[in-house]
Amino acid sequence: GAMRSRAEVDATLQTAKLNPAELLPAVHCLSFGPQAGTGDCCLLQLEPGLCAELEAGRSLVIRGEKDEQAVLCSKDKTYDMKIADTSNMLLFIPGCKTPEELNGDQASCDIIHSQIAGFSNNYWELRRCRPKLKKLRKLLMEDPYEGPDSRKDQTSTFSKYTTEDLLSLIQASEEEILHQLQIIDACKIEGYWRILEFDYEMKLLNHVTQLIDSESWSLSKVPLRTCLEELGSLEPREMIEHILLSYGRKYIDDAGEVYFEMHEDKICRAIAQMLLQNAVKFNLSEFQEVWQQSVPEGMTARLDQLKGLALVDKTSRPETIFLLKVEDLPEDNQERFNSLFSIREKWTEVDITPYIQDLCAEKQTVGALLTKYARSSTQNGVKVYNSRRPIS
Amino acid sequence: EAAFLVRSEGAGGLAQWVLVELQGEVEPRQSAGLAGSLLGDLHYTREGVPVLIVGHHILYGKVVQLEKPFAVLVKRGAGETGPAGPHTHYTVTALIKTKLLFKTRPKPIITNVPKKV
Repeated sequence: GAMRSRAEVDATLQTAKLNPAELLPAVHCLSFGPQAGTGDCCLLQLEPGLCAELEAGRSLVIRGEKDEQAVLCSKDKTYDMKIADTSNMLLFIPGCKTPEELNGDQASCDIIHSQIAGFSNNYWELRRCRPKLKKLRKLLMEDPYEGPDSRKDQTSTFSKYTTEDLLSLIQASEEEILHQLQIIDACKIEGYWRILEFDYEMKLLNHVTQLIDSESWSLSKVPLRTCLEELGSLEPREMIEHILLSYGRKYIDDAGEVYFEMHEDKICRAIAQMLLQNAVKFNLSEFQEVWQQSVPEGMTARLDQLKGLALVDKTSRPETIFLLKVEDLPEDNQERFNSLFSIREKWTEVDITPYIQDLCAEKQTVGALLTKYARSSTQNGVKVYNSRRPIS
Repeated sequence: EAAFLVRSEGAGGLAQWVLVELQGEVEPRQSAGLAGSLLGDLHYTREGVPVLIVGHHILYGKVVQLEKPFAVLVKRGAGETGPAGPHTHYTVTALIKTKLLFKTRPKPIITNVPKKV
């Protein structure tokens, strides 16, 4: 249709009995643009920080397979996406000025013909969430690295993942993914991210701890150079360095030499896992004895090193211990609690904390989680938590 | 593809659009559809109150600075195939930081008072 003229606008004002003297001289004549009804445009409500990211030219990514709920990822954060309906109609209009902008703009183009680009009665709402990282470990566990001698690796690259692959498959931001890869001690081999098969990892660790012992090195000053010289004939140099990085803190001394301060807790924990994975459960005191004998000279094995890895049953006679890895448990909050309560009916806060700590959202505490997903009671003077609902 | 990219259109910086929020639904007057049809005239009083004349109604609203801005996403590239990466992506065409909220009931414009016969 033809564009409205000043005369037509004024006539409408007169019919409406509005006094032009009380209005700003500029008027927007709104019409629907050619693409307005097509629904190609939609609205995304931005959480703090995202607007600045977009204005800085950075991208956001929406990730999710058909069976997954879509998430939106910025460079370092992940958000759940949900459609929010409004009972109102939202029209989005380019080039529409606010009163301030009009007042400041003295060049009076009286009529501003504005085309409505689109309209909607809903928008995408975002809520910051924990990145969905359990799938990352699952993917890397499809084909753990068993060492250079393993014939497996010469076959297909089907279950191997590059950074790009992971970015397209994992519902998390790039930074969250890279951070998690570091936490699970993944390493890049021939461009693919790999997790070491546990036995191979223990074999590498054993090489190092044996060498520390035979050289009588201090656990806080393990030289990289000598490790590579002594062990380089047994294992690839990258693997030796990787195991040192996984189980130690790298530092450089004044002379520029690279050393590692070994993580006593992490080493003891790995050895415990190695012992515990061989049976359903162990007599606690027997286990502690064997465990202490198995750890390197100078290290002390302590039960608190096993949080999130193993659980002690103080109700059995004799007391027992069994492997329970938090990373094997469900990622969803309710499913995690269901799983924990089906393993044990009543938990103390001390026992359950390592198994729910990772569920905490940005400012959430373990206490808040327990209040939401569990019911508390007192047993023998001790506060315990059990399920809110009957477990089938 | 499992991933959709949401990115800004060009290097020139994002356009700022305005949201107009109305009660009820938008319906085309003619069966021909909405494209090209007029919605109405948007005025502001000297005090900055938005006044929208739609058909035979006057709506008074207010200017609201949005606590959470919106990004306007346009879906692009649906149906394209290619070897590298996702081709369906959403382009951020504009940001919306301001809305004109028309919540008051529209006042009808009475043009003729029919005379009693």
